[in-house]
Amino acid sequence: MDIDTVQPAFQKKEFLAVLLAGFGNELLPLTSDNGDEPSPKALLPVANKPLLEYTLSWLEQSGIKDVLLIAPTIHESALHHHINSDTTASNLSIDLQTYDETHESSIGTAELLRHFAPRITEDFVLVPCDFIAPPSLPLSTLLDKYRLESTSHGAIVSTCWYPAYAPEKGILVDEWGQIPTSPALVWDPKTDSLLHVDTPDELDRNAEEYGLKMDMLSRYPRTRLSSSLQDSHVYVCHRKVLQLLAQKPRFESFRQDFIPWLCKIQYQPSKRRKYAEFISSIPNQTTYLSQSLALTHSTTPSAAAQSVATLVPLEESSTPTTTSPNSSLPPPTFKVTITIHKSEDGLALRINNLYALLEMNRVFLSAHAQSAQRVGGKATPAPQVQGGALVDPKAQISADTMLGGSTQVGERTVCKKSVIGRHCIIGRNVKIVGSILLDHCVVEDGAKLEGCILGKNTKVGSRSELARVVSCGGYEVGGGETLKGEKLDVSDWTAEVPHGNEDESTESGEENEEDDSD
Amino acid sequence: MASKSGKEKLIDEEQEVLQAVVLADSWNRRFRPLTTKKPRCLLPICNAPLLDWTFESLALAGVQEVFVVCRSYSELIIQAINSSKWSKPNSGMKISPILTAKETYSAGDAMRDIYTRGLVTSEDFILVHGDLVSNVRIDEVVRVHKERRRKNKDAIMTVVVKEAGVGHRTRSRGDSPIFVVDSDTSECLHYEPAFAYPKKKLAHIPREVLNEHKQVEVRYDLIDCGIDVCSSEVPSLFQDNFDYLDIRRDFVHGVLTSDLLMKNIHIYVEKDGYAARVQDTKSYESVRFTFLSRWTFPLVPTTTTQAANATSTPPARNTSPNRPPPLGTISRSAQISRHTLIGASTSIGDNSRIVASVIGANCVIGSGVVIEDSYVFEGTTVESGCTVRRSIVGSGVVVREGSEVKEGVFGGDGVVVGPGARLREFERLSVPWTRGEGEGSDEDEDSDVEDMETSQGEVDKSTLGADSNAIVWLDKPPEDDDLESPENFLNRRYMRLGASLNVTTMTMPRTPSPSPPKRTTPDSDYDSHTDASVSGRSDLGASLSSGLMADKEFRSEVRQSLERAFAEDHSVDNAAVELKTLRMASNVPLSRVREGVVSAIVEKIPVVEEAAKQRVGRSRRTIGRWGELINRIGGVDAVETVTLLQRMKENYRKTWIVGAQMIHQLDQQSSSEEESEEDDDGDDDKPAGAVSRSAEASDGDDEDDEDD
Repeated sequence: MDIDTVQPAFQKKEFLAVLLAGFGNELLPLTSDNGDEPSPKALLPVANKPLLEYTLSWLEQSGIKDVLLIAPTIHESALHHHINSDTTASNLSIDLQTYDETHESSIGTAELLRHFAPRITEDFVLVPCDFIAPPSLPLSTLLDKYRLESTSHGAIVSTCWYPAYAPEKGILVDEWGQIPTSPALVWDPKTDSLLHVDTPDELDRNAEEYGLKMDMLSRYPRTRLSSSLQDSHVYVCHRKVLQLLAQKPRFESFRQDFIPWLCKIQYQPSKRRKYAEFISSIPNQTTYLSQSLALTHSTTPSAAAQSVATLVPLEESSTPTTTSPNSSLPPPTFKVTITIHKSEDGLALRINNLYALLEMNRVFLSAHAQSAQRVGGKATPAPQVQGGALVDPKAQISADTMLGGSTQVGERTVCKKSVIGRHCIIGRNVKIVGSILLDHCVVEDGAKLEGCILGKNTKVGSRSELARVVSCGGYEVGGGETLKGEKLDVSDWTAEVPHGNEDESTESGEENEEDDSD
Repeated sequence: MASKSGKEKLIDEEQEVLQAVVLADSWNRRFRPLTTKKPRCLLPICNAPLLDWTFESLALAGVQEVFVVCRSYSELIIQAINSSKWSKPNSGMKISPILTAKETYSAGDAMRDIYTRGLVTSEDFILVHGDLVSNVRIDEVVRVHKERRRKNKDAIMTVVVKEAGVGHRTRSRGDSPIFVVDSDTSECLHYEPAFAYPKKKLAHIPREVLNEHKQVEVRYDLIDCGIDVCSSEVPSLFQDNFDYLDIRRDFVHGVLTSDLLMKNIHIYVEKDGYAARVQDTKSYESVRFTFLSRWTFPLVPTTTTQAANATSTPPARNTSPNRPPPLGTISRSAQISRHTLIGASTSIGDNSRIVASVIGANCVIGSGVVIEDSYVFEGTTVESGCTVRRSIVGSGVVVREGSEVKEGVFGGDGVVVGPGARLREFERLSVPWTRGEGEGSDEDEDSDVEDMETSQGEVDKSTLGADSNAIVWLDKPPEDDDLESPENFLNRRYMRLGASLNVTTMTMPRTPSPSPPKRTTPDSDYDSHTDASVSGRSDLGASLSSGLMADKEFRSEVRQSLERAFAEDHSVDNAAVELKTLRMASNVPLSRVREGVVSAIVEKIPVVEEAAKQRVGRSRRTIGRWGELINRIGGVDAVETVTLLQRMKENYRKTWIVGAQMIHQLDQQSSSEEESEEDDDGDDDKPAGAVSRSAEASDGDDEDDEDD
């Protein structure tokens, strides 16, 4: 046996990334099945790059090596194909696991984690497939925060929230559904503790008021309350979280059920005692005690030392033989930390609604345009055109437009502030402004598109005018049609089935906010 | 022209007289029976009436005109105003007393009275209570308030608050509000009162506060200083809403929740200054302490008010007190520690010890007296050999020889106790009411005292001493207890002197007399983290006299306390409470107390040469009766107990009780090992009966702070 080759296997992984890729019901009709072929949300492109790529490179940059990708069974082949194709540049080892789920049925994130718990043996990072973070928010920031807080304050979950994106009033289209509302949350800015997350249950119980525990206020007397933050759904978790989840089989959603519950334990000593073995990230109580003893006798008592000292009144803790260790030992401390991304540090967004998709694309386009300007230094920088695109010399493509490979653009066509996918065919005299065209779209002569999102293989007939229209993959718009502010779904013209499904939660946890949109 | 008129207006504003309204009635009875003969605002704090401190605070802010709204004992207040140095012509302040009707039952009524009389002529005025002590630059608050008013006509009130920790000593646990504030504009969006009892579990913050404000701050760390800068609209709002009674709970809350008024209230967070209301006896202690430690400079004893005061307060860090007051005599052998203030013409006898206390003028303190953390008002006599601890003793009181006054006792004016009185904790005494005396006071208060008199039959007065003329104020909840108000019976317990928060149990020290209500037992969900810090700061007594009480002394105290408990057959609970308070007062580790208790119990078992069986019976009885005390004083710690016993073995030939003791402490398996070990030393067999009995007992005395 060659020791050298065996050695790396023993190296303990620090974090496993658990990547949840769902259906993306809130992005319908873009994510609805295209014929028999599913279109997973993870492969939905933003600026001509699939969402999954952003997440994977974000993970990779933080030094994470292993990814557990959890996806619905029907997406397996598509994702598998994508992961193993050349288009992914990542060196991650990706373990693709699937579960049976359809658009209609729903499996909560907490349930999924319980199901896949045996595959998770170390601390893990729960990541959605749709969170795009700006360069100012690398995952390593969150990991570092967790590392620090878990050793010093017993943090077992670290969360990350970003300012909710609210589109301007003029952009809102009724047909597109509502912007997900942000839950109200309470946190302590001094210690970065997440203390309270409002849940729909609580809203039902008391629609007029937020009920905040007095114990929380006594312990954290100066807190902030806001409902303008969105959850990134990135959670850095201690592996004990899985055991804790196993204790609570009724929890469905990680974000909606588990996190609010966990927050409350922070100021409930009785619960802390009850779940002591699961919530303390510090290995065991005896080392904890000796630590605190050492800290209290330290000549330079730091704030941490004092807090430990007050938690463990020494005369009480020195009772190793008492009958019920649970009640005599101080409840372990632990913490749910919060990182708040500031809006001025760049846009962080979960692509969990159509507006977010548009906005993210817009941000990438303007960033590209700016960098092109800087590099080129010319008054009219060149647009982002990928190899193999055939652009007629008489067409006008602005700098803040992106053209995918092998796309053809006809003469006198104008493209502004748009992303056009691969293998699209754009006719003559077409005007495309502020739109997103996915791959293989065909736009015939004289058509006008403004603020549209066209799914794969969408066909737009000649001289039709579309404004603020979303279409599903394979949709065909007849020539000369004028549509405004609509959601076009295949089901609308194949069968008279009402589109959109109620209360369907996808597994990746985004169910919470968006579902009220229907 | 426009600019000129604007300038004129500016001058006008500058010349505007700054007015203040002082509400010289408290509309509650937290200081009874000290306030049966005079209003609270005339109670001395550091030997000067509270009202003087209030005037001083207002003068600092440059107030020119003061209206003092008085109801009860108005003639006393007028007298006090007239004799105050602030009503002298050159003081720069014009003080006018306003007599309101007896039917003024609340601050709201007083505000309505102010409105109907049209007292306030300026645009904005300062509203304070007659129990305010502050060095806050209120003029700065007024400036901020006026500036805000220029932009927003609806900003009608600015409430001065001060940042402090949750467990700050000046923060009343009985009445500590929650503010929801927009931190950018300091607009107060929601006000929620919180009392200690009935215990509030949830703070209810209206969801709509987030409709207009992206992010708000929920603050539970603010002390309400009781200083409000109000616009002239405020009294009229009281007039319009006749149901507003309390300024905070009704007015502020009402204005903020009203959909119609559309008025704003702002807070002003004072950073440097000091401001506090003496709203209960607990804050009385804390304010007094703050004074003597000179945190309120320039409001400190040496610079303020009555020149007749001979102060003996050295600056906080100077340990050698600067003693002799004029005319008074202080014996050479008397010890006077820092944080002590002694009034003029007060004499102190030999070997007396005064620790962190305030003694009024013209007092006579005998020899061998110990006074700790207490307040003795003027003209009081404390005879030799007395001990006074953390109490308020009214003026003209006589404490006869050898008496003991314990935690939280309030002795009303003119009371005589002793000789040899043993006052219980939180006992309240006053002299019986005599008709025709003090006609000015209202019937309401008369009836109160009368009530107490009629119920004297139920009271055991044996502890008061032979010469006592006192009636005891019963500590019982009134029948019509209003849980909505902070004045409810159980909540008031949190506001009185000596009501320190106990680290180990979080219970209120229980009153031994009427059966303590079970509801004050610890709320298990309360966070121990907070508790620890709370007690750390609020237990003022401990911090003051720490190190002053020698270890030896403490031990003798424990012994005395236990001897008394044995002799008078106290309940285990009461004995435990007594020990706990003792421990806190002298700031010693728990093991010390345990040591004392164990040795006392061992000693209690008599060593007599008699049949083994009888001996076993005796010990069984003693341990059955008192054994539990060891567990009650703070946490079950069997190992330590056994260790202590072992250590004591050398001294006493009574080791055979060790086995029984241990069974009482330990569970079966751990004890069995120990037993065998102990039996070697024992000259008798372990009493089998005691084993089973105490095992049963220990089942029952499982820790009472079970979680829900």
